[in-house]
Formats: sequence, structure tokens, C-alpha cells
Amino acid sequence: MNLAEGVQIVSFGILAVMMIGTALGVVLLPNIVYSAFLLGGVFISIAGMYLLLNADFVAAAQVLIYIGAVNVLILFAIMLVNKREDFAPLRNAWVRPVFTGLVSVGLFALLGTMVLVTPWALSTQVSAGDSAIFLIGQHFFTDFLLPFELASILLLMAMVGAIILARREFLPDQVMSPTKQQPILTLPERPRELVSVSSDKSSNLDDGRRG
Amino acid sequence: MPLKFLKQVSDYAKETVQAARYIGQGLSVTFDHMRRRPITVQYPYEKLIPSERFRGRIHFEFDKCISCEVCVRVCPINLPVVDWEFDKASKKKKLNHYSIDFGVCIFCGNCVEFCPTNCLSMTEEYDLSTYDRHELNFDNVALGRLPYKVTEDPMVTPLRELVYLPKGVMEPHGLPTDARRAGMLPEEIAQQEANKK
Amino acid sequence: MNPGIDLQGTFIETLMDLGLPAGVAKAIWMPLPMGLMLIGATMGVLVTTWLERKISAAAQQRIGPDFMGPFGLLAPVADGLKLVFKEDVVPAKSDRILFTLGPIIVVIPIFLSYLIVPFGQNLVITDVGTGIFLWISLSSIAPIGLLMAGYASNNKYALLGGLRAAAQSISYEIPLALSVLAVVMMSNSLSTIDIVEQQSGYGILGWNIWRQPAGFVIFWIAALAECERMPFDLPEAEEELVAGYQTEYSGMKFGLFYLSSYVNLVLSALLFAVLYLGGWDFPIPLNLLANLVGVSDDSSWLQVVDASLGIIMTVFKAYFLVFLAILLRWTVPRVRIDQLLDLGWKFLLPVGLANLLLTAALKLTFPVAFGG
Repeated sequence: MNLAEGVQIVSFGILAVMMIGTALGVVLLPNIVYSAFLLGGVFISIAGMYLLLNADFVAAAQVLIYIGAVNVLILFAIMLVNKREDFAPLRNAWVRPVFTGLVSVGLFALLGTMVLVTPWALSTQVSAGDSAIFLIGQHFFTDFLLPFELASILLLMAMVGAIILARREFLPDQVMSPTKQQPILTLPERPRELVSVSSDKSSNLDDGRRG
Repeated sequence: MPLKFLKQVSDYAKETVQAARYIGQGLSVTFDHMRRRPITVQYPYEKLIPSERFRGRIHFEFDKCISCEVCVRVCPINLPVVDWEFDKASKKKKLNHYSIDFGVCIFCGNCVEFCPTNCLSMTEEYDLSTYDRHELNFDNVALGRLPYKVTEDPMVTPLRELVYLPKGVMEPHGLPTDARRAGMLPEEIAQQEANKK
Repeated sequence: MNPGIDLQGTFIETLMDLGLPAGVAKAIWMPLPMGLMLIGATMGVLVTTWLERKISAAAQQRIGPDFMGPFGLLAPVADGLKLVFKEDVVPAKSDRILFTLGPIIVVIPIFLSYLIVPFGQNLVITDVGTGIFLWISLSSIAPIGLLMAGYASNNKYALLGGLRAAAQSISYEIPLALSVLAVVMMSNSLSTIDIVEQQSGYGILGWNIWRQPAGFVIFWIAALAECERMPFDLPEAEEELVAGYQTEYSGMKFGLFYLSSYVNLVLSALLFAVLYLGGWDFPIPLNLLANLVGVSDDSSWLQVVDASLGIIMTVFKAYFLVFLAILLRWTVPRVRIDQLLDLGWKFLLPVGLANLLLTAALKLTFPVAFGG
């Protein structure tokens, strides 16, 4: 066993323990903020796994998207709504964790047997390494074009939805008459004017630039 | 409609360019400041020479005082404390104590101006910092002390400033002590006036 | 172009000549550049804080640190020592673990990003294929640490500062990535070495700044915002938020935040130099000079001069940009949070996209000039 292999095995062990530990923490810890931070740990360990598999672009993308965007957004959501609240104790509350545990163990057993039973066709090709970026690009624009574009359209839809939600301005002073039916598929909002064209009125940009 | 849109775009671009130019102008101002002379005075080692009419801590001569209390009356806040008693033998007021609290004094100089016997005068002392504000309440002994002159202190480099510098000179460091200040001195003006007559 | 000096190869060969097996020789080599880079980055921070004080002083007609060593050069050292020996206060009711972890998570990715900063053809820790993308992805970890610090402090200013820092970081990541993408498109590679190689050959005329004027401005604005430098230092806007997420920190934990902000500034400046100012290239092509004087390309002393000049040029360019950042600090007043987000989303993002599209179009039209 040479140095590189030893390093690989040790780092695989560390990453695996880290991933399982943090994942368990995400599920089991009562403090939701800890769970969110530990989720970042899970993502990091997955990125490390990708690195071990010689897929450094995927690892970097994992870090950028899952930690830089997804996890931060989750944290944002938690911190903006985090209200300490004492919930009324439920009767038979123990049923839920037990039931969830049963389902999880069942799923784990099912997936485990699937992993063990399936005759995996292990690729004997040398991993792409540095040329992976080119290969990924080629796949995106040839045989994976449709899924790629669909994913981008999905994201676009999500963005449009977010903008519509954010732009909505409720008008509490206007009493909504029940007789005047709101047209379907519109949200009650104040009609917005486009950016004024007259040059004397400085736009947002100007304010921003000048500080 | 497309024209309106184009106008919007061009206005936006113009404003951007304008904003960038303003920032550039600001940068050039900041950059210009870098080559200017630092105005720092390394305080305990260097001190500015106070001007002739500098209104510093007040000096008081006990023996000259006639306890007339003019200083109290002209003071905006009646600050000087004049403690005297009538001496029946000499039929004169006898001053016991005199004190001014420099934590309250505004250094307006009215008392100095109105003192009939000139027993009050201004000094150049301005560094009146203490740990306790009551230490600033100077009694007649403390008021009678003269401050160390900046120009005579061997530990201090005296620096001239503004009108006391020679013509065209802005840098007070390394100036010879006998360098003449810009313009005529007051006594020279007086001499000139006398010569005219 | 000759490859220049290969320090790694020479070092390993020397060790193997001494009778060590190849694996051991490599293992001895590996920590060397990393340690060197760590020390270099820390030294860079010390120099930057000193420069910051001196240039700020000059811009305000002051002298700045003067008595601590010659020209106050020991001021940053005194700063560091003070922070090390200061009491490390953890506020009561704060979250102890997260409070400690926050600054660490902020610092580590920034130091990791130094992996890809090249100072010469072979003077880089690793020439990873993902190169500049690694930097972008690593710099996206920092907001987690900031949020952690803000949350753990149990202080509303800290929490607001952390949220602001994260929002700012996320918003400006996008224009930053877009402007980097335009450069990457021109050099057909994410590797920092290739990006510099593609700019070299024509001296100052070949630098990306001439081909990417818009991208260069976007990158610099976005980088300043990422580093929370002056016009964009909202997360620690002292008038509103005391000191933002740093409010409750003291001692070395505060020192880590301080360090990370300056390391990040130096890193951004270095990468800016790599992306737009030709990295280690001398403004006049060195081969040309050598030919003028009549020195062969392969002579060993020319290679030594080339390598040392490369390091000097990279550092010089980076510090020029640091100087620019300090100058901007004393020129531009702080923006409001809505202005900041407006600038990021409504100006830099569309302009960055347009720049990317324009670069793609130009690349297709003039493949010679835009790296076809």
C-alpha cells in the first residue's frame, strides 16, 4: 500500500464517519438551527467523497450550490422565522418517533439489500479527471440537453414565483368588497408604474452608484 | 414603445457613466490628498507655539489684587471666587483666597480685560488635563505659577503655524528660529506710522 | 515558452539522489509550499494592515503609525500580539460551540483558496483543473460561518449583521462568477495557470483588462463587496449595527475575523491580478528583452530572474489593487442596504450577463483576439 492509497482510505473513513454523524445529527437534534448547520457538514462530506472519486468539478459545484446557496437559504429561512415556542405536549407523542424510526429502518434495509443484490456494472474506464469539465459540457449540450433545459426552466419558474411573491403589496387601507370578485390568478397588489422616463428623476441605479 | 425603451436604456447608461465619473473625480481628490503635507504635530515631542493673543490658563498675581470683584461681575458665570475681609486697621480689603475653576471657565478673557490693576493675565498653558475635575479648581497659589514656555523646553520641538511662518512656507519642521514671519511685525507698523507723521 | 523553473521536480530529485524512496520524497515536498503559502498569506495580511493605516493616514494628511519600528512597520505585529493576549470573552447565554466554530469556518476556506494562486509557471501549490471555480465555491462557504457567528452571539446586532453579510455575499457571488466566466470562456480553461498563459506573450497589451473592461469593473466591485470592504461594509456598519456579527467577539476569535477580511482582500487582489492583469507577466514580454540584450531563452539565470520577477510582479499588481481599494475606502461613502442590493441585482447582474453574451459573440466572431 503506497502513500496515496493510505491517504485515500483514511480520508474515506473520516468522511464516512463525518457524513453519517452529521446526518444523524440533522435528524435527531431538537434544535433546528443545529440541524441546519449540520446539514452543511453533510454536504461538505459529500463533496469530499466526490473529491475522492476524482470528480473535483462536481465537488466544487456541490459546495457552491448546496452549501453556498441551499444551506444558506435554509439558515436564512430559519433565522428569519425562528421563534422560540413551547408546544403543548401531545398525548401518545412517543408513537411518532417510533413509527418514523420503523419506516426509516425499513427503508434502510430495503436500500441496503438493493445495493447488495444488484450486480453493479463497475466502469473500468479511467476517471476523466481534469477533462471532466469538457465531458460534462458536451453531455449537457447533446444527450442531456432536455433534462438540462427542463431543470433551468424549473428554476426560472421558481424565480418568477419568488419575484411575484416578493413584489406583492397588500393594501390594508383598501377594503376588499366581497362583491367585487378578484380576477382569478392575480394577487391583490398595487398597479406598478414602469421606471419613469423623465431624466430629472434619478433612478435607483444612480442612488446606488453614488452611495 | 421601442423608442421609449431605447430612451430608458440610454438614460440608464448615461447615468451610469455619470456616476462612474463622479466616483473618478472623488478618487482623484483622495489621491491628491496623498501628496499633501501631513498636518500632524507629534504632540508631547512637538508643540505648536501659541499666538500672542492666545487665551490659555489665567495667571493671577496675589499681591496686586485689590479685591474689587470686577472680575466676578464681568464673568459670564460669576466664576472667580474672591474671599476677602475688611481690615479695620488699614481700612482696606484684605484678600484671603482667590480661585478660578478652569473646569468651568470658558476662557473668554473678560476678567483679564477688566481687571483694574492688571493682576489677571493670560498664559500659553492649554494642556489642563487631570484625573479629577476638582483638580482644575486653581487656588491663588496654583494661579500664580507660570507655565513652561514651549520655546524654552529642551524636550519639545516648538513648531510655528499659519501666519507665523515665513512667506510661502507651509512646513514648520526644520525652520531656523530666526526666520522672519510673513508681513510686517506690529512694532514695525507702529514705526512706519510714526515716520509718516 | 519554456516552462521555467520546476522547483518540485528538482527538490524531489535531490532527495531521491540522497537515497530516499520517491514516495517519501514527495511526502516531504508536499507540506513545504503549503506552509510557505500560509506564511506568505499571513505576511501579506500584516503588510496590508500596515499599508491600510499608512495610506489612510496619507489620504487624511496624517502620518499614521510612526514610532513602532521604522515607519511603524511593527504596528501590525503589535496588533496581532495584542489580539493573541487579549481575554477571550464568550458572552453568557451565547452558543459556545457555534460561537467558536463561526470564525474558524470563515477563515479556513479563504486560506484554502490560496491553493490556486499562481506566482509563476510552476510556482503554485496545485494546478487543479477546476481552478478559479474552486475559489468561487470555497468563498461561498464563508456566509455559513458569518451566520453561525451572528446567531451564536445571542445579540440582535450580531444576528442582523450576520444575515446582512450572508445576503451580501450571496448577491455579489453571482456577478463575480459571471465576470470570471467571461474570462474563463476566453482562455478555454478554469485553471489559473492557463488563464495567465493565455494573456502572456504580448506584454501589457495582451492582458485581459483590454478585452474585458466591463468584466474588470464588475469583478472589482463584486470582490470589494465580497470582502466587505469600505463602500460595502454594511455587515459591520458601526452607526447601525455596532460591529455587526463581530460585536460580541474579542481576543483571537475577533482576530480571526479581522485576519479573514484582510486575507480575503489580498486573495481577491491576487486573483484580480491573475484574471485581468496578466498574473506574473512583466508589462514588456521578457523574451523580447532577453533577445534585445542577446541572452538565450534557456540560460539558467534568466529563468531565475523570470521566476523572481514573476513573484514580484504578481505581488506588486495585487498590492496596487489593495491600494486602489484603500483609496476607494476614503472616497466613496457607505451605501445603504437597499442600494447595495439594487446595485448587485439590478446593475451588476444584467451588465455581467450582457458582458458574458458579448464575450461569447466576440469569441465566435474574432477567434484570434478572443481565444477561439
